[in-house]
Amino acid sequence: MVTITELPTRPRDVRPRRRIGMRQRLGRWDVKVSPYLYISPFFVLFAITGLFPLLYTAVVSLHKWNLLTGEGPFVGLKNYVDVLHQPFFWKALRNTFSIFALSTIPQVIIALVIAAVLNANLRARTFWRMGVLVPYVVAPVAVAMIFGQIFSDQSGMMNAILSKVGISPVGWHSNVLASHLAIANMVNYRWTGYNTLVILAAMQAIPNDIFEAAIIDGASRVRQFFSVTIPMIRPTLIFVIITSTIGGLQIFDEPTMFDQQNSATTAGGADGQFVTVTMYLYQLGWGSQNNLGRSAAVAWLLFLVILAISLVNYWFTNRIASDSGAVRRARKVRS
Amino acid sequence: MHKSRTVWAAAAGLTGIALAVTGCSTGSSSNSASTASSGGKVTLKVQTFNEFGYADLFTEYMKDHPNVTIVSDKAAKSDDARASVKNSIATSTVTDDIVAADVDWMPELLKSSDFFADVKTTDNAKRWPDWKMAQATDASGKLIGLGTDSGPQGVCYRKDLFQKAGLPTDRAQVATLLGGSSATWDQYFATGQKFMAANTGAAWFDSLGALAQVANNQQAEPFESKSDDSITVAKSDSNASKVFTMLTSHTDQSAHLAQWTDDWTKAFASDKFATVMCPAWMTQIIAGDAPDQKNWDIADVLPGGSSNWGGSFLLVPAKGKNVTEAKALADWLTAPAQAAKVFVKFGNFPSQTDAVKDATVTAKTDTYFNNAPTGQIFSNRFSAVSKQPYRGSHYFDINDQFGKALTRVDVDKTDNAAASWQKFLDAVKQLG
Repeated sequence: MVTITELPTRPRDVRPRRRIGMRQRLGRWDVKVSPYLYISPFFVLFAITGLFPLLYTAVVSLHKWNLLTGEGPFVGLKNYVDVLHQPFFWKALRNTFSIFALSTIPQVIIALVIAAVLNANLRARTFWRMGVLVPYVVAPVAVAMIFGQIFSDQSGMMNAILSKVGISPVGWHSNVLASHLAIANMVNYRWTGYNTLVILAAMQAIPNDIFEAAIIDGASRVRQFFSVTIPMIRPTLIFVIITSTIGGLQIFDEPTMFDQQNSATTAGGADGQFVTVTMYLYQLGWGSQNNLGRSAAVAWLLFLVILAISLVNYWFTNRIASDSGAVRRARKVRS
Repeated sequence: MHKSRTVWAAAAGLTGIALAVTGCSTGSSSNSASTASSGGKVTLKVQTFNEFGYADLFTEYMKDHPNVTIVSDKAAKSDDARASVKNSIATSTVTDDIVAADVDWMPELLKSSDFFADVKTTDNAKRWPDWKMAQATDASGKLIGLGTDSGPQGVCYRKDLFQKAGLPTDRAQVATLLGGSSATWDQYFATGQKFMAANTGAAWFDSLGALAQVANNQQAEPFESKSDDSITVAKSDSNASKVFTMLTSHTDQSAHLAQWTDDWTKAFASDKFATVMCPAWMTQIIAGDAPDQKNWDIADVLPGGSSNWGGSFLLVPAKGKNVTEAKALADWLTAPAQAAKVFVKFGNFPSQTDAVKDATVTAKTDTYFNNAPTGQIFSNRFSAVSKQPYRGSHYFDINDQFGKALTRVDVDKTDNAAASWQKFLDAVKQLG
């Protein structure tokens, strides 16, 4: 940047015109290129650790590829066709969506409510705020073991409680919906607190005078929440919803651990009750089929699905947020 | 499948011991005079999983070979160890000088047998019975793995429940009751029927899946044809379909408890089932899961004759830096004398013919099983094992699907036998 300040003081005389030109050009490049250079480490790293694997996976998915014996012949889209023809893939996709819906949606809503409560003037605020983060610190394996005990089919706590109130025991591992509920519980247990804190941080950044204005206008607590709080934290909401969508669609640990009978390469219930797309991907590539080609095809299909869902989410969240139109409308009416 | 290796229930129980012992292994590489040949210092990394019981042996070996430092690289779960071995083959990088592998992974490792060194020597060529050697020998006759332990099977049973049902309780009498040396599945289920008729409230066995492990291992070609590796299960009179029909027609004697679940683990302490198929390593699991249940005993018998379930190998990657030293160490670790020591201390039953006959092995008794002579019983059960089922390219997957098919009928009750069998065939068709 030093060069820039020097430039105007240079006398515009005689010969070294070209050299000044050079300097000028350098200066211009400096201005134009340097910022990109400064942020380039991230993108270089991303290209190596993110983009390259992504593209490499695409290459793998177009070949017959065994994990152990390596690259085979080019087969075009055959792996994709094979995968799409396997009922197990569709089962995995169904399970993934179901677990995603049962976990992410309630999770974000609950997080929003808890954050609103924590944002109020509570006694021992820090205690409550740190409290919601505690489950997030618990290792997924530990969570799975705890919930495994709770949701055991015969000796589990949940079925013991249900039978006390006269409900017949639920087959937590054999019933499709029940298994999804149990797994969604594990996910929510871990992630609700994390999302709560992110949303809470956004809520605290809302200037107080907006609330004061709303109160003067006679807005109730509920009205404040919907017409001021939510529109004001829109960017954060989009962030939370999109990250938990991605996380929800890539769910692996919890359902794998939930199957106590099988190892990671075979888990997911005797009838595929809770096999998810990422589990299916792992089982194809790293199970004894060692079919990395099909596994890569599943990875790309999942990528496309996540992309599509994220776009829908983005559009949807923007709609919610255009509720901020309500604020604008309200202001217009006033003036 | 050798599930014991995959399950943390077992792992958790052993971790205590494991932690205590690994503490010693990193300790002194003492200065005592050596018999070892000269040569530069070598560091050998040995990857194992769960508990191989090698910590003391490592110390002993390092004492005798001061130029050798052994680093133990123990994976938390066998899943991790399996993934690590496969990744190193896939990327052809060598991270450990010796890797342990479960017999279940051997079919896929044998397909990449170039990655591993030939470990056969004139000394160890007769160390194991043929069936154990066959598990680690590739098509060209190259031996890639040195056998460590094995899992000869007997029948564990509950004395108190047998008594309640009016059956004999003495372990010799129980063996005779189930048919002695000519025990058949028919006799096992017939006895089960008698037991069920006595209405003790307990079932005869834990689950169909547990029995399938034995029954399939008794077939010469359970799922695939030995001659061309083709999958045979879809034929109407296939071995697999016969086993499936036999097992699913006795669902009424099952406790419907899938192996390795929390429910199953807890059941050893309560009165849920009277018998369980018992490979040598299962005795440790029962004793760990139900330390206060004093009525478990073990009979020297097995329906259908004999069977081996599980066992591991030590493999030496051919491109390692210290292949010669690694081979020497692996050979020493799997020699009968060392295998016998491991059994006495940790209970991993040997697979070496001489170790099985070793006096310290046959003399071992187990206080948990009412002082049953477990060493002698499993030695007998081991000698009875004569053949190993053919395990082709898809063995692991088909076996897994077979287990799931039985679970659907027996535990989940989501399908009847016919529907579940059809799902099994569909799943097998999708393999590729």
